[in-house]
Amino acid sequence: MSGLFAIWRRELSALFFGPLAWTLLCLALLLDGRLFVGELAASSGDVDVATRYAFVVSFYIAILAAPLVTMRMISEESRAGLLEYLLTAPVTDAAVVTGKFLAATSFFAILSAAVFVYGGVLAAQGLAPDPGTLVAGWLGLVLASALFCAIGTFASALTSTPMVAAFSAVLLDLALVLAPQLARLSPAPWVQRLGARFDLTDHLSSSFLLGAIDTARVVFFLAWTGLFLFLAVRAVEGRRWR
Amino acid sequence: MIRVSHLTRRFGAHVALDDVSFEVGQGEVVGFLGPNGAGKTTAMRILAGYLPATSGSASVAGFDVLGQSLEVRRRIGYLPESVPLYREHRVVEMLDFHARLHRMPRARRRQRIPEVLDQVGVRDRARDLIGSLSRGLKQRVALAVALLPDPAVLILDEPTSGLDPLQRIEVRALLRGLAERRTVLLSSHILPEIEATCRRVLVIHRGRIAADGAPQDLVAKLAGASFVRLEAVVGPDFEKALRLLRAIDGVREVLHRGKLGIHDVFEVHGEGDSREDVGAIAARTGWALRELSWQRPTLEQVFARLTLDLEPAAQSAAPAAAAAAAAPAARPPVVTLNPFERPPPPRGGSGQSA
Repeated sequence: MSGLFAIWRRELSALFFGPLAWTLLCLALLLDGRLFVGELAASSGDVDVATRYAFVVSFYIAILAAPLVTMRMISEESRAGLLEYLLTAPVTDAAVVTGKFLAATSFFAILSAAVFVYGGVLAAQGLAPDPGTLVAGWLGLVLASALFCAIGTFASALTSTPMVAAFSAVLLDLALVLAPQLARLSPAPWVQRLGARFDLTDHLSSSFLLGAIDTARVVFFLAWTGLFLFLAVRAVEGRRWR
Repeated sequence: MIRVSHLTRRFGAHVALDDVSFEVGQGEVVGFLGPNGAGKTTAMRILAGYLPATSGSASVAGFDVLGQSLEVRRRIGYLPESVPLYREHRVVEMLDFHARLHRMPRARRRQRIPEVLDQVGVRDRARDLIGSLSRGLKQRVALAVALLPDPAVLILDEPTSGLDPLQRIEVRALLRGLAERRTVLLSSHILPEIEATCRRVLVIHRGRIAADGAPQDLVAKLAGASFVRLEAVVGPDFEKALRLLRAIDGVREVLHRGKLGIHDVFEVHGEGDSREDVGAIAARTGWALRELSWQRPTLEQVFARLTLDLEPAAQSAAPAAAAAAAAPAARPPVVTLNPFERPPPPRGGSGQSA
């Protein structure tokens, strides 16, 4: 466990040593903040609608940003020989992968915590949104970003080229988000039902964003995240055989 | 401390290690010697727990490298060939991270990190970013990382590559100091270095152990005995010179190695060092002497012999052939067995001028 913690710590600090994290933070907050303000004006001051909208924007940002944050985590280390260093240190492969994944997820937890700033500012204006809804929405967003980070980590473990990792992770993310929505358009009712089951955006918008923490949906996100993490660990193990 | 039995590792059709077995005892310093691609790095990676073996087994400090990998990894310091360090971190941060991976308590970290920085001589660069360090300094930092957990076994893949000659001498001295308490397995293709640091050498070639023993034993066994080399102007009749040299007590054979300008080159093989007798003859007959030296075959020649697939040395013509073969190790392996060609000058203190 302490090995995992050490890797998480190093990975998160390394993220903030480079320009990528700061650029992403800056762009994401600019975009999210601008759209939030616009929505607030358009909804004529309906705070809950506007914060929900801000969450949805953050969700789509995470689809594109998570691959960028995770792309280098394993692929570049394998190229620089650092993976050989980590895999001969007294930590398990799973701890290496999980530590890196948690660092990426922590970054998104920090990024999406911006909604609490929005809430604070609104409260100062006397328009305080429901704090429980904010926390639930934030949790949902962290769970969704965790899934994208797990996919990104998996993609990064598959290749030694960060750009390839990022690209394939974006494709996987989009497939996972869009395929269920396409399935909902299908004429066959069982395909529709299946689509509804796996619809990430629906899981988010019809529960967390309304302020309800539904354990079934929490498990849904955790299970998918766990699956991709497991695959990532296997992919790292597979590197030893190449 | 290290026990390897029937280890085989394949990469697809390529066999990197082919049924390799050896043992290294506690406190031994063993040099791994072999040309590029011989399997040194593969063997070290298997011992460090990075690569699994295709078949066979290996254990370090009594723990199986595959089944009890974490136990093994806690006990070894491994310096990979690629010198892996996080460029964006400072030297102390890198060491701190490694200490945390080894679960060192804070007090121990605080004491140990300055200690290893002193050991490798980078204490004054402790706050520098690793990315800004030169190749040699990075190499030392990586060595510090390997030494940090005070491991019982050190596995060092080319620990002196990228270092300048002075740093090399320092690292060699450091390794000798470490060897008192630790088992060290190091690889290098710089032969004098192995001769200087290791009491035992494992020559590995095409994935197999080609030779195993103390450097001087290997040299004596495989490269032939020492001989006297003579370069002098002996006049038009070199046959007469040959007769004179052959008459020396204890001389078994004298070879004429051709002419270098006006100087004839002879090799005097036999019991012991006959330089004084040769010198006396030269003084008596008035030869203009240019070189009279005692040639000891080196590990380099053994290495060339083993890796170029030559037969073990025949007592007479061997050293010259080995010397001729030693040089092309870097070039394409053109093996010159023509005894009338001048062997390239021996390097690395192999010859001692009288």
